[in-house]
Amino acid sequence: MLKNLNSKHIQRFSYKYLPQFPISPNSPKLGFSRSQIANYRSNFPTTIMSSSKTIVLRSSDGETFEVDEAVAVESQTIKHMIEDGCADTSIPLPNVTSKILSKVIEYCKKHVETPNADEKVAEEDLKSFDADFVKVDQSTLFDLILAANYLNIKSLLDLTCQTVADMIKGKTPEEIRKTFNIKNDFTPEEEEEVRRENAWAFE
Amino acid sequence: MVDHDLTISDLPDACLARVFHFLPPLDRKQCSLVCRWWLFVEGQSHHRLTLNARTDLASVLRSVFNRFDSVTKLSLKCDRKSVSIGDEALVNISRYCENLIRLKLRSCRELTDTGVLKFAKNCRKLRKLSVGSCCFGAMGVNGVMDNCLFLEELSVKRLQTVVDGNPTEEIRPGVAGSALRMISLKDMYNGQRFEPLISGSKKLKTLRIVRCYGDWDKVLQVVTKNVKELVELHLERLQVSDLGLAAVSGCRGLEILHLLKTPDCSNLGLTSVVEKCTLLRKLHIDGWKTRRINDEGLISVAKNCPNLQELVLINVDITRAGLDLLSTNCRKLERLALCGSETIGDAEISCIAAKCRALRKLCIKSCPVSDYGMEALAVGCPNLVKVKVKKCKGVTSDGVGWLMASRGSLTVNLDAPVVENQIANAGNDSRVLAVVAVGQDQIR
Repeated sequence: MLKNLNSKHIQRFSYKYLPQFPISPNSPKLGFSRSQIANYRSNFPTTIMSSSKTIVLRSSDGETFEVDEAVAVESQTIKHMIEDGCADTSIPLPNVTSKILSKVIEYCKKHVETPNADEKVAEEDLKSFDADFVKVDQSTLFDLILAANYLNIKSLLDLTCQTVADMIKGKTPEEIRKTFNIKNDFTPEEEEEVRRENAWAFE
Repeated sequence: MVDHDLTISDLPDACLARVFHFLPPLDRKQCSLVCRWWLFVEGQSHHRLTLNARTDLASVLRSVFNRFDSVTKLSLKCDRKSVSIGDEALVNISRYCENLIRLKLRSCRELTDTGVLKFAKNCRKLRKLSVGSCCFGAMGVNGVMDNCLFLEELSVKRLQTVVDGNPTEEIRPGVAGSALRMISLKDMYNGQRFEPLISGSKKLKTLRIVRCYGDWDKVLQVVTKNVKELVELHLERLQVSDLGLAAVSGCRGLEILHLLKTPDCSNLGLTSVVEKCTLLRKLHIDGWKTRRINDEGLISVAKNCPNLQELVLINVDITRAGLDLLSTNCRKLERLALCGSETIGDAEISCIAAKCRALRKLCIKSCPVSDYGMEALAVGCPNLVKVKVKKCKGVTSDGVGWLMASRGSLTVNLDAPVVENQIANAGNDSRVLAVVAVGQDQIR
């Protein structure tokens, strides 16, 4: 079963030294952390350096996606990677295919762009987007759940899991099995025992 | 990464559990019968469980708690006709559910002090305990107070042997006293014996005493000396007089006060409370049979409580004088309910409409208001969102319809009154009876 990759598992660059002298923005990237860059910038305010406002994400099949940092940090996993200084070149996401990653990015973009979900119009618009977003085949839906879980995007995880729950509501066990193509591996005795136990529980 | 079509079986346990989290209990039961994996995940993620606490539950406890191994909120409910589980079963449950945070007991009449004490020793993380119609006594309650140091809420209803038990055993705060935030006592014969527990709960915020026998003035006098941080107080169907209310005025931080069916309370008592408890936000009064609280008391409320947000007046004869001052002084008044008062007519509704600027919700029940009153609401109360009218014979669906048409954003509910002779004349006509039944449902 796929688990959330912890930032501890991500290869870190070892910073053998701190810059003692001004470095031209054109010199080869040595992989400095954002705090080091900020520190440098505060000492040399006249030097122009590009701040990393975009993040590059790399899917399992090698495709790269450049996204605004604000969009990328909808994922707590990515947010922690950036904070730990691992976002220098690109962030590899070996558990997410390009097909799913592009959908996830589309979701995050929409949610970041919607200014205030307090206003009725914006709220309705977002609801409608979410409803359409999950109108996909089962395989894609489960892929999205896995991605949302790995990337730790709570709202997407809730949306996709709620969608699956809606597919279960009101159905008998046999109907549920048919919906998801699940095999009944209970023996008749086991099934009977579960039913008996269920009879004791009101809730 | 994945070269096959994904199925639900590719999800990790935690994700399947998350799906179950969105399902009501009945659907969760269906899920438990789908396959072994679903049974396992459903059981593991089932944190709130209600069991039928009949005596033969004892024989299935092991398998039940083997399956539901993460229960933190447990209800044990027995019906009144059956024999309930006993002490041994309760102690076994406490061993299976050591992490229990909430426990609810209903009609578990076979439980005694011994069982409850042993339970408390095993379930020390308990935060909420609600007991209804059980037969253990002071020793059992003290057992919980002595062991459950995180206890925040205690509700006791119809606990029957507190009557007889050892009369010298007082009900103490124990170690739970420092954590308790809410105490509720209902239908108790000797509820006064809880006074040391209440007084010893220094951080108590909410106290509810409902339909408990005997005089409560003395208890209130002692409690209010010790519990200074009280925020919410409900006194319902109690023998409380102005003396008790004078004591309540000692809790200066009081924000919510319900005085329901306390026939000995008068304007004097209410005035003594509101003069000191000026932070009052919510006030509910039911003058019941004696109707001793009226304009005079409400004028005191208006003069002293500028923060009032919610006001419910049942069987309180308030006139335009009182309403006038309330509307003028209580600028934050958002919710107002007026029931069973002959003095509330169309003129009074006009007064409310003209002056209650912040009002959002209005409920009028059994008052001589007519469609003219509805007309008045069309122009006043700029923030009005919802109006409920019940059992007001003068208000018709025409009046309500007109009001809704003239104020688009306003929702108005009208429940038709049940006319007495409709029932009398119905006889065996089931259609009439059906209409009357629907009407009665709506009124409730």
